[in-house]
Amino acid sequence: MSWMRLTGYADKFGVHPGDKIRFYVNCDGPRQYNAKLVKMIHGDTNPRGPGLIERPIKSAINGNYKGRKQIIHSGSYGIVEDKPQFHLKSFTLQCWVWPTAPKTHPKYWKHGAQGLVTKWHNNKGYGLFINEDGCAELRINGSKITTSAPLRDHAWHFLAASYDAKTGKATLYHEPQIVYALDPQVKPATAKVSAPRHDSSPVVIAGYTGQHSNAATARSSVPSGIVISGQYNGKIDSPRVCNRALSRAEIETMKLGAQRGLTERRNAGPTGALSETIVAAWDFSDGIDTAVGRDHGPYLFDAQIVNCPTRAMTGHNFSGNNFDWKHAQQEYGAIHFHDDDVDDARWDVDFEWTVPNGFESDSYCIKLTTNQGDEDYIPFFVVPRVGEEQAKIAVMIPTISYMAYANEHLANNAGGAELLVYRVPIMQQQNMFLSEHREYGGSIYDTHTDGSGLCLSSRLRPILSVRPKYDHFLMQAPWQYPADLHLIYWLDKLGYKYDIITDEDCNYDGLARLENYNVVITGSHPEHNTGPQLDALHDYTQQGGRLMYMGADGFYWVHSYLPAYEHLGRGVITEMRRCESGIRTWRADPGEYYHQSTGELGGMWRYRGRYLHSVAGTGMSSEGFDISSYYSRTEDSNDPRISWAFKGIKYDEKIGNFGLVGGGAAGTELDIVDTMLGSPPHTLVGATSAGRHTEAYLLVMEDFGFNQQGLDGTQHPRVRSDIAFHETPNGGGCFAFSSIAFCGSLPWNNGDPKKNNISRLVKNVLDRFSKDGPLPAAPNNAFKHRGRADYDPPMNKKRK
Amino acid sequence: MIRIAPKGSPERARMIKEHRACIDSMKGVPGCTILRCKTPGDTTEVSGGIHEDFELNRVLLRMRAQPATNKLVVICTKVEKEWRIGRLSGIRGVPPTFVGRKVYDNEQDPQHDIFLMRLDEFSETDGCPEHFRQGWKRRDDMWATT
Repeated sequence: MSWMRLTGYADKFGVHPGDKIRFYVNCDGPRQYNAKLVKMIHGDTNPRGPGLIERPIKSAINGNYKGRKQIIHSGSYGIVEDKPQFHLKSFTLQCWVWPTAPKTHPKYWKHGAQGLVTKWHNNKGYGLFINEDGCAELRINGSKITTSAPLRDHAWHFLAASYDAKTGKATLYHEPQIVYALDPQVKPATAKVSAPRHDSSPVVIAGYTGQHSNAATARSSVPSGIVISGQYNGKIDSPRVCNRALSRAEIETMKLGAQRGLTERRNAGPTGALSETIVAAWDFSDGIDTAVGRDHGPYLFDAQIVNCPTRAMTGHNFSGNNFDWKHAQQEYGAIHFHDDDVDDARWDVDFEWTVPNGFESDSYCIKLTTNQGDEDYIPFFVVPRVGEEQAKIAVMIPTISYMAYANEHLANNAGGAELLVYRVPIMQQQNMFLSEHREYGGSIYDTHTDGSGLCLSSRLRPILSVRPKYDHFLMQAPWQYPADLHLIYWLDKLGYKYDIITDEDCNYDGLARLENYNVVITGSHPEHNTGPQLDALHDYTQQGGRLMYMGADGFYWVHSYLPAYEHLGRGVITEMRRCESGIRTWRADPGEYYHQSTGELGGMWRYRGRYLHSVAGTGMSSEGFDISSYYSRTEDSNDPRISWAFKGIKYDEKIGNFGLVGGGAAGTELDIVDTMLGSPPHTLVGATSAGRHTEAYLLVMEDFGFNQQGLDGTQHPRVRSDIAFHETPNGGGCFAFSSIAFCGSLPWNNGDPKKNNISRLVKNVLDRFSKDGPLPAAPNNAFKHRGRADYDPPMNKKRK
Repeated sequence: MIRIAPKGSPERARMIKEHRACIDSMKGVPGCTILRCKTPGDTTEVSGGIHEDFELNRVLLRMRAQPATNKLVVICTKVEKEWRIGRLSGIRGVPPTFVGRKVYDNEQDPQHDIFLMRLDEFSETDGCPEHFRQGWKRRDDMWATT
């Protein structure tokens, strides 16, 4: 049973009127499919809400198209095209390896031998491998020489192989870096074999040439028409190729690499005579922020690094003294390759659309269907150019967060998923498809197929979690994209005119992207952000802009886009590292906290000195995923600085005890005011959900220093959501609704503010914030000196 | 370590009854937890379940904390219409397989049936030294609770 036969993606998330957007479709089976443009307003099929709302739009691309299968060739590796210098008779290969899955389960999706440094195809050539039993292997043509000693996983090993064509002797060395007391000794293996024959196959690092193919599905491989097999999982450090059989002592010297231009003044590297044997000596510590594996040898055989493996990884010689690769680059000569890495699906274009000038900025999809019941959607947004805004309200769609969650596998692979959500996870058809098709890659919440942390995500692939009608396992309800459509539904239903902008627009265009709007509204979960984006938001609110923070767990993680991919578009690949605190569904190893893309320290913005709470007034303090609850007004809500927001809502009303995400407006992840963590000291808390959450809700780990009981929603006062407001200079302000489930309450009762007090609340705020001119000034008595630590810590009692 | 009440015991019967009542009250909620909604389908006021039955609370936590291999899961086979129970393979690239033929017409009932299945899967003294196995010597996966 094929769970999905139609999948697709676009080359952009956001496209300007007048620009072109390209669509790529895989149709695996049916002869044709239909594509049509729709405005996507509400993507939640829950019968207790308004249901799916999509409006067909006439466009030049609507129609039937020929169906054809397109596949993704995932797996990262380095490629050097065939050159005469690699057509060796005698040779020496050597490298350090840190394999993560040297021997896999027979049913593992890519079970089999793994290539390390190879110029080998179909029993022709030579190469270093890990065989199917997890042992080091030298192949020369059809001959396989092995030590029969399985490599220890997650450990460094030095491997070398030499072949002397004059004598026919092949030698394979396997030298584990750490030898435990009961490890058997691994003696070098030798054999007598004939010299390698050669073909036009490329040199492959972390794989080998599997097929030369004319099939249409091989076009998207790199190189096109050559399919790589045996993708290696793990690190490779300092691979070298030499043109004769080196002695063991010479191999040791060759570990130092190559430095050309040896003079009386500069040294380091092999001796002059040994340098003459170098065919290639790759140094992966050079160009860590690129997609090139630099060759320091004489021929400059730089390797094209395909599918974006993880760099800025500690090498075999990491000494544990410097943890920033920029300061000890020679200790970061490793690349961690994975068989499920993907940087670009590289499909052929099925059709493209030029957005007409003046086209309305909004949320759209290409809807794909077949007459056999297959269906998929490719979401995108029309974004006005800077200076050509169509409205005074901007919705900032969190595209970086969409990428962070792209194609996540948690329900399928994570033992901890069920404890997190306090019920058995539910998998949708997209999750079932992805559980088999690991070549679609994963999310930054996942581990790779080899169990290592996944820290890079590309948008140039079908992202099946960014779909309408998709319920996420976290809430068995919409999450991220379809949850943001709850907000779009409400804006549309109440007749607001709004523009759509994206995270990447803010990152690249800065303040210019925001300053023409009276109010900027976030999505339900703007968790992942780049520094330039946060800078732009800060500039905007400080200069009188208004921000409505419609979610929670926002502004939490450090992201950066990879400069190596900017030739393909803006924000193609994003990077994030999970370091020593925060929500870590995997944990980076020591020394691997700094980004390969920009060299900045990864992790939480909090630990870069930029508090979450400093952006919109509240910051995350707890999460739980079973059910949601509701808010009650506080004494602060009577303060004239905020009371206007609660007009039409009685003091004792239950605010938001309904909703399409967990059944309430206060749920999933929750933010609170904390003046010690960046909330401005004059912040008002208008309503809170304190005391109502279940024991599934737990304090975040960065809020306590050692584990202890009593941290859950039935016990701890910081497990709550605070609806808060503070003024910013020049007539601006921030209103924080502080709950991811919040937007799920907007469509209740069709968003009618008379029958939905969440709608009432948000309407009061948006109507005020979207007006021209500065917000009304606070009363004179509100201006006073306030410390950060002035408020009484919560004993939940009023001081006499 | 919390005891998994054996078949035929009054404790097991009590936990099953409470679990059933909670699940029934959760029908219609876009979410689920083992608590009783005062008004079925409405999470405004919840009580009982894991907040009041200590043993049920702890038994559920034990069950939830298993590694992924062979773990029971729910699979939606028709959006908003049909669900079935499955079992995770624990092997990357091998999708979950269906367990049994039963097709559910709501999201909550499979949660209860999985609870019943697991009561039979766990031994009474699960987690105690007699159940030591070599796998205890290592962390399961970077993703799990460890």
